[in-house]
Amino acid sequence: MAFLLRRVGFYVAAFIVAATFNFLIPRLMPGNPVDIMFAQAGGTLPPEALAALKETFGFIDQPWPAQFVTYLKSVFTWDLGLSVKFHPLTVNEVLLRALPWTLMLVLTSSLIAFAIGSLAGILAAWRRGGSFDSIGAPIALMMQAMPPLVTSLLALFLFAIYWPVFPTGYAYEPEIDPGFTLEFFCSIFKHAFLPIVTMALAQVGGYLITMRNSMINLLGEDYIVLGTAKGLSDRRLRMAYAARNALLPTVTSFAMTLGASFGGALVTEVVFNYPGLGYTLFQGITARDYPLIQGQLLIMTLAMLTANFIADVLYVALDPRLRKG
Amino acid sequence: MRGLLNTLLANRKAAIGAAIVAFFILVALAAPLVAPFDINQRVASPHEAPSAEHVMGATRMGRDVLSQTIHGTQTSLIVGFAAGLLVTVLGTAIGVTAGYFGGKVDEVLNLFTNISLVIPNLPLMLVLAAFIGQTGPFVIALIIGLTSWGWGARVTRAQTLSLRQRDYILAAEMLGEPAWRIIAVELLPNLISIIGFNFIGSVLYAVITEATMEFLGLGDPMVVSWGTMLYHAQSTSALQVGAWWEMAAPCLALVLFGSGLSLINFAVDEIANPRLRTLRVPAKVLAALTNRTANQGGRA
Repeated sequence: MAFLLRRVGFYVAAFIVAATFNFLIPRLMPGNPVDIMFAQAGGTLPPEALAALKETFGFIDQPWPAQFVTYLKSVFTWDLGLSVKFHPLTVNEVLLRALPWTLMLVLTSSLIAFAIGSLAGILAAWRRGGSFDSIGAPIALMMQAMPPLVTSLLALFLFAIYWPVFPTGYAYEPEIDPGFTLEFFCSIFKHAFLPIVTMALAQVGGYLITMRNSMINLLGEDYIVLGTAKGLSDRRLRMAYAARNALLPTVTSFAMTLGASFGGALVTEVVFNYPGLGYTLFQGITARDYPLIQGQLLIMTLAMLTANFIADVLYVALDPRLRKG
Repeated sequence: MRGLLNTLLANRKAAIGAAIVAFFILVALAAPLVAPFDINQRVASPHEAPSAEHVMGATRMGRDVLSQTIHGTQTSLIVGFAAGLLVTVLGTAIGVTAGYFGGKVDEVLNLFTNISLVIPNLPLMLVLAAFIGQTGPFVIALIIGLTSWGWGARVTRAQTLSLRQRDYILAAEMLGEPAWRIIAVELLPNLISIIGFNFIGSVLYAVITEATMEFLGLGDPMVVSWGTMLYHAQSTSALQVGAWWEMAAPCLALVLFGSGLSLINFAVDEIANPRLRTLRVPAKVLAALTNRTANQGGRA
């Protein structure tokens, strides 16, 4: 419990640091921060909305510390201001509308990559030096060098333009009414297929290597030798003895990769015109919608911290040594 | 015999990787000489398909794609190496300081490192780049360098902590050697494989990240680099009208250069691992290193 509480404290501190970046960056730029921040806002927002927006971001007639407190208050009450590009929606509404799509892509692709990568890693480690290991491990490492940008573009061109098997954009066909119908779910599946596959490809190699190295380190331990001596079956030894313990580093790596794949989703969504956070952010960048750009940093940080916290909880569940301290 | 064969194979990987990287460096240095066309002139019809004259076709503006890719190599490599150097210097300095001095210094630096690791890189870089405006290659290199040192610092710190316990460091301390000298003469030479691994990985990460940021529209569109080429191709719907060559050339360059760097890193890893094992921290360092490569795939 104390362990988890300490972690939560750390996450709150990290979140405040992210908010501090948002607060400081416009103020450290040359020129008047209010003018920079709301250069595009003047045309679209009515004056009273602009005044409220300034207050949300702490542009009040007081010294910096007071401004900072005002800004933190907005952030912690989850008031992220008004979007300039998607007026009259708030940043909050814009991001929450896009978040489910991104969450679906990230979670599905990460789970698929985790399952396939870890299983392949277990097999590679079990017969290390064998043919699967000596082909699989280098391929996994080479795949790390493939930028997600390139894999997405390649998949889009091959399977959506050259052979138009999959659609080139949107989350579902616009003529279908959203609802609990088979047609709707099929449409979602068809549109999400390529983004999920490209995102999973980017991650699977990392899990393979992490699991493989972690397994190899464990296979030399005494309790594995003892298990072999007891005459346990290969399968039981591999899964219940070695793999169970080898999973620990993979869990940390899962949390880190999950946060990172939110970043990867940005690019994939832009390439596939997929209406998630990344695509919304892309529209925000083009319109210089600063409140939206700042809001996405906070929501991405929050997603990353949540993933890390879940990993901490899993760690406590998997590693009895942490339950005491 | 098998061990000898493995070492040879490892060297071959390193040799191929080094040859690819050297080829790109040469192209970058000789760009104005080897590029067949002026990149600022309309030399072909819009979206002209690859032919003997224009090996990789032309853009919508009638620019020669091969010449642009060659000139883009210059920008992409300068950003990659500059940012990679900055990431490595910062990561090594912070990691070694934390690991060597320990105590309060370590606590503070380690806290900063951990915070920098949980704040997602790409979104933070996007905020910075958006506020700076049309960011040229040097600003992008600076942004990448200042935000991405966390992994290097963590790995270097872990390794420094274990080296710190060794007898020769204690001996140097007993002799009254000043801290800077112990770090420079005793520690850094023994960290060289990790620093090298960090540097190559960071160059790869920086080249990919620069292309990503420019693709998202945060670069200076007047600069010619692999990223801005992809940006222009995307904004003129090159793929949709069938002009795949506009995207193919910079993508191929990215993948080929990336493979060269990964091959070197793969070889460094193979050669360095037995040494890591004798230092009794293989699990920790290995896990950290592989986590790092895993993240580089995902982050960009």
